[in-house]
Amino acid sequence: MKSILLATILGVSICSPVQALDLNKLLTGDNLNKSLSILSNAGDALSTSAKGLSAAQEESLGQSVMANLLGAEPLVNDAKLQRYVNQVGLWVAMQSSQPNLNWRFGVIDSPNINSFAATGGYILITRGLWDRLKTEAELAAVLGHEITHVTRKHHAKSIASAKGQQASSDLIALVVDYNNGKSGGKSLEKLGKAGSEVFIRGLDKNDEYEADINGMVLAARAGYNPYALVSVLQLLGNVSPADSSVALLFSTHPSPKDRLDNIDRVVGDKLEGYADGAETTKRFNQVKR
Amino acid sequence: MKIALYAMLVSSIALAEPGTVIRKTDLRDKPFLDSTVIGNVASDTPVDIRTRKGAWMEVKLSTGQTGWIKLLNVRTSSGSTSSSAALSNVIKTGSSGKTVTTGVKGLSAEQIENAVPNLAEVQKMKTYAASPGDAQLSAQNNQLRRVSVPEIAPTSVNSAPNNPNNNPMRR
Repeated sequence: MKSILLATILGVSICSPVQALDLNKLLTGDNLNKSLSILSNAGDALSTSAKGLSAAQEESLGQSVMANLLGAEPLVNDAKLQRYVNQVGLWVAMQSSQPNLNWRFGVIDSPNINSFAATGGYILITRGLWDRLKTEAELAAVLGHEITHVTRKHHAKSIASAKGQQASSDLIALVVDYNNGKSGGKSLEKLGKAGSEVFIRGLDKNDEYEADINGMVLAARAGYNPYALVSVLQLLGNVSPADSSVALLFSTHPSPKDRLDNIDRVVGDKLEGYADGAETTKRFNQVKR
Repeated sequence: MKIALYAMLVSSIALAEPGTVIRKTDLRDKPFLDSTVIGNVASDTPVDIRTRKGAWMEVKLSTGQTGWIKLLNVRTSSGSTSSSAALSNVIKTGSSGKTVTTGVKGLSAEQIENAVPNLAEVQKMKTYAASPGDAQLSAQNNQLRRVSVPEIAPTSVNSAPNNPNNNPMRR
C-alpha cells in the first residue's frame, strides 16, 4: 500500500521537470503527513545498506553528485597531484570499515577551503585547502574525516532527514526511476542536483563531530600523527569568518573552535600513544613543490 | 644594520601565529610528558605558536620564555571570541538555501546549485584511482606502517560542546 502511494506521489515528479516543482504543493496537510511517514520509512531504508541503496545505486548517486561538483569547477590539471592524493586517500581508506570500496579522490580547482564526499567512495578536496596543508598527516586527517562520512552513510541519513524533505523526495523519485531502468542523462543530472543539496545545507552537526573523531583514528591507523587534524582546525580558526573562501565551509560545519572543543573532550590524550606517527613524507614534499 | 632589522621583522611576521591558552597548563622544556616543567601558563594567556610536534606545540610567551604545551590547550582564531556575529550571518544565509556569498569565484553554494554536470571530468577522476597494492607499496616506501588503533566512541547527541563549563580540566 505504502509503496503504491509512494509511486503515485513520486510519479508526478518523474513525469516532467515542470510538474516536479508541484511536489512542494503536494507536501501540505494530509499529504505532507503521509509523505513524511513514507519518507521516513524510505529514510530508514536508505540508511541501512541491506534495504537501501544498492552498491550500484550508491555509485550512480556518487557519480552524479561528483559530475555536478566538477561541473562547477574542474579537477586541478596536475596528474601527479591527483595520483598522489589517491595513494594517500586509499591508504587511509584501507584502514576503515570499507577497505574494498571503490575509493576515488581528487583535488578540485577552487580557491575556497573545503572538502566533499559522496556515496560510493568519491572524495574531493579543494585546491584552496590543499595549498594550506603543511604535512601529509594533515591531508590524511582531512581525508579520514571525509572517508568517515562515506562509511557511516551520513549523506543518506541527511537526505532522509526532515530537514531535507524536498531533496529527499527528489532523490527517492530518482532512485525509483533508476530501479525502473529509466535513468537516462536527465535523471542522472537531477540526481546530482538532489544529492548536492547536502553540500549547501550541511550534514548533521554530530555527524561532523563523529567524522573528526574517527578521521583521527583512521589517520593514526595509517601511521600518521592523528593530532594533525588539530593543526588543520587551528588553521581554519585563523581564517576570518568574513573571508569568502570559508563561507560555504563555515555555513555547513560547526565552528573550528567547537570542533576543537569536541576533540578535546572526546579524544583528549587518548591518541597520544600514536602522536609520534609520521608528520610528512618524501612523496608529499615532491608534489608540494 | 638596517638589513638585519628588516630580516628580523620579516621572520617574526612569518612565524607569528597567535594563540590563546584555554586552561592553566605546565610549560615543559621538551614535547614529552616526562620532560622538565619549566613554568606554568595561566588560562587566557596569549602565546605565539612557533612549531608543532605530535600532540605538542612550542610556544613563546610575552615574557620571551619558550617551551612546550599540549596542542589541545591552545585555541587560535583571536582567542575565544570566534567573531560570532559574522559567523551567524554566514550561517543564516547558508541555511536559507539561498546564495551564501554572491559574485565569489570558487565553489559557492550558488555555483554548486547552478553547475552543469561534467561527467567527462568524473571519468578523468577515475583514471587517477590507486589500487590497494599500489597504495600499500607507496605507503611502505614512505615509511608508513599500519598501526592497530581501537575505535573511539563519539559522545552522545546532547553533549555538543557549546558550553565551556562542560569542559572539565583533565590535564
